[in-house]
Order: sequence, then C-alpha cells, then structure tokens
Amino acid sequence: MTSIGTGYDLSASTYSPDGRIFQVEYANKAVENSGTAIGLKVKDGIVLAVEKLVHSKLLVPDANRRIQTIDRHIGLATAGLLADGRHLSNRARDEASNYRDTYNSAPPLKAVADRLGLYVQAYTLYSSVRPFGISTILGAVDKDGPSLFVVEPSGVFFGYNGAAVGKGRQLAKTELEKLNLTELSTREAVMEAARIIYLVHEDAKEKEFELEMSWIGSESGGVHVHVPKDLLQEAEAAAKAALENFE
Amino acid sequence: MDRLKSGEVNLGTSIMAVQFEGGVVIGADSRTTTGSYIANRVTDKLTHVHDRIYCCRSGSAADTQAVADIVHYYLQMFTQTSGAPPSVHTAAALFQKLCYENKDALSAGIIVAGWDKDAGPSVYNIPVGGGMFRQPWAIGGSGSTYVYGYCDATYKEGWGREETVEFVRNTLALAMSRDGSSGGVIRMCVITEDKVERLFVPGDQLPKFWEGREIVGGAVKKLDVDPIPMAVEV
Amino acid sequence: MSSSSIYSPPGFDFSNQLRNNFMLQKGLPLPKATSTGTTIVGCLFKDGIVLGADTRATEGPIVADKNCEKIHYITESIRCCGAGTAADTEFTTALISSNMEMHALQTGRKPRVVTAMTMLKQMLFRYQGQVGAALVLGGVDATGAHLFTIHPHGSTDKLPYVTMGSGSLAAMAVFESGWKPNMEREDALNLVKLAIAAGIFNDLGSGSNIDACIITANNTEMLRNVEMPNVRVQKERDYKFRRGTTAWKKEDVRKLIVEEQTLLIGGDEMDTS
Repeated sequence: MTSIGTGYDLSASTYSPDGRIFQVEYANKAVENSGTAIGLKVKDGIVLAVEKLVHSKLLVPDANRRIQTIDRHIGLATAGLLADGRHLSNRARDEASNYRDTYNSAPPLKAVADRLGLYVQAYTLYSSVRPFGISTILGAVDKDGPSLFVVEPSGVFFGYNGAAVGKGRQLAKTELEKLNLTELSTREAVMEAARIIYLVHEDAKEKEFELEMSWIGSESGGVHVHVPKDLLQEAEAAAKAALENFE
Repeated sequence: MDRLKSGEVNLGTSIMAVQFEGGVVIGADSRTTTGSYIANRVTDKLTHVHDRIYCCRSGSAADTQAVADIVHYYLQMFTQTSGAPPSVHTAAALFQKLCYENKDALSAGIIVAGWDKDAGPSVYNIPVGGGMFRQPWAIGGSGSTYVYGYCDATYKEGWGREETVEFVRNTLALAMSRDGSSGGVIRMCVITEDKVERLFVPGDQLPKFWEGREIVGGAVKKLDVDPIPMAVEV
Repeated sequence: MSSSSIYSPPGFDFSNQLRNNFMLQKGLPLPKATSTGTTIVGCLFKDGIVLGADTRATEGPIVADKNCEKIHYITESIRCCGAGTAADTEFTTALISSNMEMHALQTGRKPRVVTAMTMLKQMLFRYQGQVGAALVLGGVDATGAHLFTIHPHGSTDKLPYVTMGSGSLAAMAVFESGWKPNMEREDALNLVKLAIAAGIFNDLGSGSNIDACIITANNTEMLRNVEMPNVRVQKERDYKFRRGTTAWKKEDVRKLIVEEQTLLIGGDEMDTS
C-alpha cells in the first residue's frame, strides 16, 4: 500500500482521493495473516481444507472447527478473523433456511453466495461498522452439480474451480493450477488438498498446525461432512511423504 | 365448514390436472356464481403463473385470484434473481405457504401443474387447509366429489396426450352434469416442454353419458327447431 | 395497572366488526348507508366500450337522490360504474383516479385499464369486502378496449358484456338476447339503453334516468341523462286551497319581547371609525 493514512483510512464510508476504501484493503490484510484455506471443485464433488494454526497446546485437538456446515449440502471455510467467520456462517445458515422456507427446496449455492455478498457489501458503506476481516470459501453440490465461490471483504464473489485464501494462497494457487481438477475424483482431491496445505505451511515461522478437511460428493451421500478419520490420516501421511520427496 | 363470506363470489367448481409422459393436461368448467346467480358463464379458471406453470382455482374467486397474483409476482422475481425458470415444486411451495399461513382468512383449493427441467411434468394438489401433495392426477372443487370413483376406475399410468385429454374432458363433463355449481364450457390446457396449448369444448358439445330416458306414456318432448349455440367470445 | 399487550398483528383490525355484529344481535342496529340499488352495465362494440347506469340512489325504502351520477371518471379514456354503498364507490373510484393520474405522470404513458383494475381489486381485497363497491370498469388503452367487473371482495371478470347491481339480472337478460360481436356504435348504445331501461322498470332499486358513456380510442363521450323516461308530468289537478277558504273571527298580534336592556361590558366601545 502506497499512501498510508492521511485521514482517509479511518472509516469505510470515506473514499481516498484516488477512489479507494482503505478499510476494505485493511480487511484484506487481516485475511492475509490467517492460516491458509483452500477449496477444490472436482468431477463429482467439493473438498474444503484449512490449515488451522494452533496457538496453544492446551486446545482440544479436532475442536474449534474452521469449516462449518451451512445447509445439508453446503460447506463454508473462512480465512481471517475467526469471530467474523462465525458470524457470517450464522448469517449464511439463516439465508439458506430462509430460501428453504420460501421455496421448499434446497438452495442453490449461487443464491446463498449472492445474498452473502450483499450482506458483506453492506459493511463497506457505513462509518459505524467495520468491514468483515475474512475471505469465505463456499462449496456445495446442488441440483446443478458441484460449485465453489469465494466472498471477499469488499462483498464481491467469484466462482472458481479451485480457490485459496489466507497466508499461503499464492503457493496454493500455483499448486491448484497444476491439477487437472475436472478429471479428479473427490477422494483424489482429498489427497491433493492435504498435500497442498502441508506444502504451504511454513514450519520455520509457525508453530503447530492441524489439518481440517471436509467434502461433499457421492461418497458423503451428497452431504457436507468432515472427511472420515482414517482417510484424513491416510491423506496426512501421504502429504508428509510427498513433502519429503519435494524437498 | 362455511368458509365463504356472505355475498362472496364463488367458484363452485370442477377442476382437474393429470400428468402424462411428456406433459400435463389441466382442465376446468367455466361457472362462477354469487348465490344462485351465474356471475360469469365463460370463466377462465386455468390461471397462468409462469411460462410452463399453471394453476386451477377453486373456492373464493377473490381469494384465489389474489393468491395467484402474488405467486405470479414471486415467480417473476425468482426468474430474475436466479436466472432460470422456477420448478413446479417451487411454485406449488409458494402457493402452499400462502394458503397455509393465511388459512383462517382464505377459502382456496388450488391445483398447481406444469412442466420443468428437474421433474418433467408434475401435478401438486393444495386443498383448503394448506397441505401440499404431489399426485399423478388431482381433481378439486365441489364437482370433484361426484367423480372420484370414475377417476379411480379409469386412470391408467403410461397414457399419451390424446388419452389424457379425453380422460380430463370426460371426467369434467360427468362432474358438471351432476354438480349444480359447475357447468358451462370445458377449458383445458396441455402444457409440454415446447408449448402451452389451449383447448375448448363448447357447452353444447360436451361428451354425453347416460341422461335418463323417457317413460313410456310420459310427456312427449317436442323440438322442431335446433337450439342455437350461445354467443361466446373467441 | 396491567396494560394490554402493545403487540398488534400486521394488517387491518376487524374486531370492531365483531362488536357491531354483537350489538346488532342485541337489537342495536347500525345506521343505514346510502346504497345505490342499481343497474349498471358495460358493453364491448367495434371501436370501444359503452357504459351505462341508472340514476337512482336509495336509503332503505327511500329514494335519496333521483338523479345521481354513477359513471365515475378514472382517466380520460377509462371510466367506472359503481354499485353498492354510494360513499364507497365514490371514494374508491376517486382514490384510484388520483393514483392513476400520478401513475401516468410518473411513467409518461397513457395508463392501461388493467392497471386500474389491479389497483381496485387489490384495494377491495385488502378490505375483505368491508368496502362495499361493486364496479364495472371499462376503457380503451394502447392494448385495445377492455371491460371488467370487480366484486366487493376483490374478484374480477373480463367479459364482452357485463351487468352489476340489483338490476343486473334484468339487464343481463337484455344483453344475452341482443348482444352480438362487433356491433356498431349506435346499436351498442341502444342495447345499453335497453338494458338500463330493463333495470329501471323491473327492479325496485333502480329508477329515474339513463346515463351512458361511449369510450373509443381517441374520444370519450359522456352522455348524461341520454334518456329521461320518468319526467314528472304537469299535475292534472291543483290540490291547493283557495285563499280565504278558512274564515276567522278575531285577529291578535302579540309582542313577545316584554322588556329589552342593552348593557356594555368592559373596555371602551369598539372603534368603528
């Protein structure tokens, strides 16, 4: 960022003279400090994976999830301020259930992403609020097949085949680009996702981390669930082995 | 259960919808009454709510028109925001929501039918309390009570378009002949993926069934002029 | 003191109606509204619409107005006949007329008949039949000539010829036997006159004169009292008593004010210079 401050960064309701909203850019900084989260849209499903940085050894393993379920078939992973992620996932659940109430059918992911985008954007308009310090990966298998979206702090959202947000997103993206996502099975995607998270984790800088993964596909019955323990362990082992070879 | 308000316009009705291989056939009589007076003898009770979704209305004319107008509006909004036409299920769910949540104020028995990409042809029945039931065929209105047996005995799965149209025409003619609040003409719609086709059977060309016979030595029916068909707007 | 809940559900509150029905049951009737026990009709013809109405307004058994107007202005080329509660037809048509003008100004287009019909039906439906307006709406717009009936509960019908009010049965009998598609202007006007006359002479609630209104694409003709089949004739006899019929014996004019005193209270007298 070039011109820090000069009074134009105190509120989300003020533009800088060159047309930027600094508060939104700072919100992106908050995302960059967080552990990496990735999402893969493959042939028959969706895989979400996050690098959950463990700041204390006293924390219960496998608790304090960063991937959450929005509807039976929709998963959400955030990178950035954890509390903001919790808030937005609650909003997403409300929107999904509201859609179900009115139309009596499962919401397509695009409808949920659309409504969440509008919600996040509203927090870039007022001086009394702070934009969300998170980027959100939304994944689902709906009536039109698998779909994947990322909602940014500005409120914009894009559809992706592979998405990465947080600290290690650059490296993760180059790794995702190497994959032939449309040919991959969901089970194969789980292995790749684990490998990418292990790869982007910087051992030297960060302490411990936990790999958290979920999937939606025929193997999970079209429902968003965390991957089974044995598969997770298998993927972690393979990831570690691949890392040895990589180095 | 007397749900109609006094002086209210009533669709004492015979309505019907049947799904077949490539689409649905819906049909209705054309009578609207206020008490014993026929307020409209050529009513169109087959109401458009989206390109390939129609509803058949029975009960209070005011209530069912209001509900259909609201659903019509919702479906337009749905199409604009989602970028794709709604499913029949979605339309039926909207009808059901309105009918259930306002059940104390409404008297509306509605059949929703149409064609969509997800399910192909489908028929949903939303009777007075605000329930919602998917059925291969549905009948409704005051005239329907007379023809449940006929429908049960006649309906077969796997019919084509022509057989289904005939089934609807015959069922409605039977219902109209027994129910005093139903009558007039038969209006039908055939909804398929490609188009919506409207069919019309004039009141003097309804299919005829047993109508009784003259008792020997009874009054002799004299008719030396053919009856002139009533004027009907095209 | 315990106060009742401040929560009230959305929409209108009809609890007073329950109270009024209860009072009615106990023998305290509501005041009667002026109702137009009426014959109103509308009829499609080759170039547009003819509307017709009688001109009697009643209050129970009394004729309240012998020459009222029942064809109301909505826009230049949309008019509306009203039957039912006179006040309700008067005010609903006035309100919708106002809203239609605003709508025309906002859109910069000539407003359509369906727009007026939708506004009316949505308002009447909202009031669940409490607004007792039974209407015949007709007009010509960019999409052609349209004719509707609107019942007090908010249901609508679109037909080539319509009748409403207590005389609707008599008038419909005339239409059913005489209406043909694509009629000429004069034939349509005559048929409408016949239909209203049938109402006037066969229905107790209808009477007096015939109003008609012919609406075509670029002209609207309001024919107030086109026919006056009930003009009062010169009385055959004079029933007044001749002056001096009654004789009197004595005349006495009395002054009612016995004493008058003017008292000025406070201040000076007003300056009237």
